[in-house]
Amino acid sequence: MIKWKKIVAIAIAAVMTLSLTACGSNTSSSDNTADNTASGTEVSDSSAESTAAESSTESGGGEIRLVNGKIEIDEQLKTYAEKYEEKTGVKVNIESLGGGVDISGTLKGYLAAGNMPDMYVFGGEGDYNTWKDYMADLSDQPWVSDTDVAYKTSDGKVVGFPYAVEGYGITYNADILEKAGVDPASLTNINAYKEAFEKIDSMKSVLGITAVCSVAAESGQMYWSTGNHIFGSYLAQGLDRSDTTYIDMLKKGETDTDRMTQFADFLELLFQYADKNTLISGTYDDQLALWAQGKTAFITQGNWIDPSLPDYNVSFDSGIAPLAIMEEDTDGILADAPSWWAVYNEGGNKQLCYDFMNSLASTEEGAECLVTDCGMISPFASTMVEPTTPLAVSLMGWVKAGKTYSWQWSKMPEGIALNATGVIFESFAKGDIDKEQFVTMMGTAVSDYAK
Amino acid sequence: MKAGKKDYLYKIICIVTIAAGIAAIVSALILDFSGSKSNIRGPMLLIGMTALIFGIFRLPCKKHRQLINIVFLFPLVFAFTVTVIIPFMLGIFYSLTDWNGIKFTQFLGLKNYIDMFSSMDYVYSFVITVIFTVCNMLLVNLLAFMLALLCTSKVRGRNFYRAAYFVPNLIGGIVLGYVWQFIFNKVFIILIPGSLSMLADANLALVAILMVSTWQYAGYIMMIYVTGIQSVPKDILEASNVDGANGFQTLRKIKVPMIANTFTVCIFLTLVNSFKQFDLNFAITNGAPSRILNGKAIQATEFLALNIYKTAISKNEYALGQTKGLVFFIILAIISLTQVTIRKKKEVEL
Repeated sequence: MIKWKKIVAIAIAAVMTLSLTACGSNTSSSDNTADNTASGTEVSDSSAESTAAESSTESGGGEIRLVNGKIEIDEQLKTYAEKYEEKTGVKVNIESLGGGVDISGTLKGYLAAGNMPDMYVFGGEGDYNTWKDYMADLSDQPWVSDTDVAYKTSDGKVVGFPYAVEGYGITYNADILEKAGVDPASLTNINAYKEAFEKIDSMKSVLGITAVCSVAAESGQMYWSTGNHIFGSYLAQGLDRSDTTYIDMLKKGETDTDRMTQFADFLELLFQYADKNTLISGTYDDQLALWAQGKTAFITQGNWIDPSLPDYNVSFDSGIAPLAIMEEDTDGILADAPSWWAVYNEGGNKQLCYDFMNSLASTEEGAECLVTDCGMISPFASTMVEPTTPLAVSLMGWVKAGKTYSWQWSKMPEGIALNATGVIFESFAKGDIDKEQFVTMMGTAVSDYAK
Repeated sequence: MKAGKKDYLYKIICIVTIAAGIAAIVSALILDFSGSKSNIRGPMLLIGMTALIFGIFRLPCKKHRQLINIVFLFPLVFAFTVTVIIPFMLGIFYSLTDWNGIKFTQFLGLKNYIDMFSSMDYVYSFVITVIFTVCNMLLVNLLAFMLALLCTSKVRGRNFYRAAYFVPNLIGGIVLGYVWQFIFNKVFIILIPGSLSMLADANLALVAILMVSTWQYAGYIMMIYVTGIQSVPKDILEASNVDGANGFQTLRKIKVPMIANTFTVCIFLTLVNSFKQFDLNFAITNGAPSRILNGKAIQATEFLALNIYKTAISKNEYALGQTKGLVFFIILAIISLTQVTIRKKKEVEL
């Protein structure tokens, strides 16, 4: 009897230690999929297909894993990955992170656990500085010459594959503008906007709108719209795509008072004609709903709102007008790749990743996936597939005409909009500070943050 | 004599097993840290550990009992070390460097600590968190105690009330936060025509978070008070009733002193939880609205936990975030240890 008890005790002790060590030592395994789902993030990974994955490695096709940062195109990419597997035998596991997941943080976890994906998304200079030691050089890839928006480092190397172009300015409801007799093509300087706003404002009841603009400047959840996007016009509007004057100044902690004053003039105008409640406490959904239901003529968002428009049964025509902050004409919108895919330089499947990127960039199916299925604008000049959604069409027009300015704001110090400048926009919107205070506070906030 | 020899042999076998186990573990660890991808290091570690434990278990010696205790404690100690002690030590170390989540390039000493206390947003977060903690603690306890009195009185349907007040606590903070954000932004401005959202005003936004937090947490604390009040002996209450004490006197002279311990528990529970407030803060305001202080705009409702999160995640300054987290830990540790001390004193008195 006692002997049995002893044996059981030993067995239990052994099992406990075994189970512990089993958790700790299994890092070399190449079976990533099981680990991913355990990370607690909103991973829509195809771990259920892991058995299929094993069989495909037997056929010699290989397997790569992509961490995608745009959850909206998760389904479409997976569909394309299936087609790609049929064609080439290479299995592409798409793992989409989004909906508020901290992508860079998740990737840091993967790196620490020896579970880095073969390709991963990164979103600008801050991310680049964090990850630059883990990025493969893509300069000699065939698609590089076919696009303007690949991620180039300061020494001219290409490390980021652009999969889309996004653009914004001031998006308008073309039907309302037409009724009010405002030509969107004329909106190329601050005075044109002033006249247009005044005219539309005076016709509010005729047009059936409650305010002229739908702007959200609350600093907790809308900082990215004001502090990144709208502020992006200060950094780039009217400048050549390679002109980095103002972003370089900002990185050194300096601001240009004249340009900032001009920017503040425009901001004041925009805030003055914006719906008050949405301006100071609205969320993205509030802002979008207001415009999409036809209650305002303008909204400060870009072509990414296209997929949401059917939810509101939008029947009116729309387009993007320049964020023309200055008195001089600046006829162009801000368009760039929102994020890029990098190839993990220590991964074993680099060639397979290059092939996958090439197929997305240069084949008909790849273009269809990016443009038709995902509703994005292809960053590649050779793409023949035309977008169909209204804002994408408008954006395409600007891109084709070469009237675009780059997204210099993505080179700002990380988190500056959330932690420093967003609140200043909110204070200005609420009327807590005047224009002069706005300019000086932006100056001190930038110099404090950049230090 | 023969039996003695057998014992001797037996002991040697055990020691050899232990030695082999240690050797296997060490070589497995060396393989792991040297970056080898060989597949045997996992099984080797397992076999080594099994051999080690088995050897210790069978080793005949005077301290056999203590050894067994250690063997059985091992899983817990191991788990605690791996998940708490080691990360904590690493955290202290990282707070002295410029770690960015992947690697660090230089050792900074106390620079992070100095930066932290000299940055206005952190000091402001600290102050606002303390204000929130004190207000929230008072409100929650006051409301919870009153609800507990209601739910232990003879009022009709008290079990329903008890369940109903507890329900908000069952909903996740993020969900609650977004629901209440909608209420503050949409419903209240219609109920009070012409008013602006509470969340747009620096002071009212704090009140808004206090409201939601109290509403969510009071039901939970109420349950603890209910159990406390129910544990007051019936005979004492009856005796006071016979002596002609009215309800208020019973409450003040009997119930409150009898459940003093419950008060300590509840006060410290709310203290710690309010100080750690993150989810509601994140979902309702995420730091907004703005407040102008000394000519600078700062976020008015950014509590410490949110400040730490933003420092590490959105600013990508993991080392500084870690530093703030460490100070946060020390404060919470002080609060908790105070509670333990107070409770110990009380127990002695009782």
